[in-house]
Amino acid sequence: MSILKNLPQRKDEQYPSMIIAGAREHGEQPHELANKIFSEMRGDFRYKEFVLGCLNCGECTTGCPAARFYDFSPREMLQVAMSDDPDVLLDAMQEKIWACCQCYTCNMRCRFGNDIAGIISVMRELAVRNGLESAKEVLKPASRSLLKVMTHGTQVSPDMIQPDFFIDWDPKAVSKTGDLIALRKAIPIDVLQVTDSSWEVSMQTALELAQIYEESGVLDMLRSLDPDLVEMIVDIISDWKDEFEEMKEKFGI
Amino acid sequence: MICLASPRILVIGGGPAGLSASIDLFEAGADVVLVEKEDVLGGTPKKLHYSLIAPDLKPVEEVLDPLIRQVESSAVTKKLGTVVSAIENGNGHVNVTFTSNGGKEEAVFDAVILATGFTHWDPHKKYEYGYGVYPDVIDFKDFEKMLSDDNLARPSNGKMPARIGWLLCVGSRDRQVGKFYCCRVGCAVSIKQAMEVKKKHPEIDTYIYYMDIRTYGFWEDQLYWKAMEDLNVKFIRGRIGAISKGDEGSLVAMAEDTILQRPSEVPFDMLVLTTGMEASQGTVEMAKLLGLEMEEHGFVRPLEADSLPVHTTVENVFVAGTATGPKAIPDAITEGSAAAIKAFNYVRRSRGKKATGRSMKKDARAYAE
Ligand code: SF4
Ligand code: SF4
Ligand code: SF4
Repeated sequence: MSILKNLPQRKDEQYPSMIIAGAREHGEQPHELANKIFSEMRGDFRYKEFVLGCLNCGECTTGCPAARFYDFSPREMLQVAMSDDPDVLLDAMQEKIWACCQCYTCNMRCRFGNDIAGIISVMRELAVRNGLESAKEVLKPASRSLLKVMTHGTQVSPDMIQPDFFIDWDPKAVSKTGDLIALRKAIPIDVLQVTDSSWEVSMQTALELAQIYEESGVLDMLRSLDPDLVEMIVDIISDWKDEFEEMKEKFGI
Repeated sequence: MICLASPRILVIGGGPAGLSASIDLFEAGADVVLVEKEDVLGGTPKKLHYSLIAPDLKPVEEVLDPLIRQVESSAVTKKLGTVVSAIENGNGHVNVTFTSNGGKEEAVFDAVILATGFTHWDPHKKYEYGYGVYPDVIDFKDFEKMLSDDNLARPSNGKMPARIGWLLCVGSRDRQVGKFYCCRVGCAVSIKQAMEVKKKHPEIDTYIYYMDIRTYGFWEDQLYWKAMEDLNVKFIRGRIGAISKGDEGSLVAMAEDTILQRPSEVPFDMLVLTTGMEASQGTVEMAKLLGLEMEEHGFVRPLEADSLPVHTTVENVFVAGTATGPKAIPDAITEGSAAAIKAFNYVRRSRGKKATGRSMKKDARAYAE
């Protein structure tokens, strides 16, 4: 029993919707996934630090480059983060959160001291972890870069400069891919003579990176989004592991 | 024998609070010294040439000059162009050293009233508003002067402005600059300024950008409603977050209209920043000399903010006006009178007892009761 008077009489399964509430039929419960994501966000240790309150001044949105081009506003994102309605959160995660380019201007402006860009990136993380369609959609064009990063530690490699990959690139860039191997060999820096990564990555480094991705849970996180990609990464890495073991045996390390 | 002498009370600061404290102390029969570092009385409102004073929209002269004249014609000892450079407070006696062009001078008092006031926050620190970069971005104390000089010409080209904007809460309610509190008067003063503009120049467009309009009490209808209903002052709910140069030397104010939830860009000829209040240098220095506690916003801590607002943590030191936080002129005047009677009664009462001048909350509280 609370000693405070005049509190609303709520049952546990009823959700207060104080700031922004999603549209729901009377008595209808929020989406199950929404509930899960909502409690994950509220339970994240960063939530308390990032989301303090809001004066609705709009200065964050004034400086936001994404707000100029999309139906998006950091003020709204902060309100979404504060909303007690899980459906409101899930709704914003379907599309809006991906409009942000993480420039942090909003944080520089916010007189309340919110970390708006930070809470947006927490929401994105949750979208990835929970395999939301929106995250799949956003990551699709980047899957080749992801494969490179997670196997070689470098994002773009010379052999990715292909018409089907960078369709909107300058046609001249594409025409240069013909004698790519020769061109790279002409660079007088040893580590740059490869074409399948930006520079030559030692196998040991690649394997250490792979271990970090595995142990930090990044691979698991990706699995819900793109299982095929993860399969490919795991295959490549296990091949390398075998190769590395053979090498160690051969040279007696 | 000492009981027969008049209480000797020092008032530091000759603004609205200090003036009113001096008058009341003098009328009660105290021996009053009023020290003011400027060469004129009247404090910040006079020094910075404020225009009309809310709520009755009377010129500052009409409000403060009667107080100044009363002090000037009384036997209150006025020390203008003088600062307090040292204080020793013990055994119920305050030994004060005054410093002026004429050199040093010492005197002993039974109690002190601190009325050293505030300063307007410096908007240079909010670089995104372009103060000091764009000549037509000015702060509201400068605009008060322009109003009282009846000269609204744009600083950049000397032409009359066609549209003026106000941005409220600059250096107030802002964690980024460490000013968490509300300035209490900014909304009212800005609206009053817009009304002054509209009354004299109805053709000038006036916009006020706000987060909340805080026109307490009667200011609501006297200023806010009247500005809207009678004078067509426009209000935009949202803050200007960036200012850039537009056509023909205009300033484009970028904001989010948070009601329409849309970006808004409006060209202005002049933008006025409604800056907040902070404790003046004098307040900070004197509080240190007197050994007063400060509160979390940087002002002097009253002994009890609710019930003993003009007592301080030192038993024979009293405080009035904006030294304890943002306040309007009428409130500062009221507090000056309150501090006067509290100081006067304290001295009378303590002469019967063994006063110590110790810095102890319990003691002061006991005296206060
Ligand atoms: S970090 Fe994102 S939300 Fe913030 S200003 Fe940049 S684009 Fe906008
Ligand atoms: S800047 Fe901060 S306080 Fe202002 S609307 Fe954005 S999140 Fe809210
Ligand atoms: S009085 Fe008005 S302008 Fe001043 S801080 Fe408060 S809300 Fe802002």
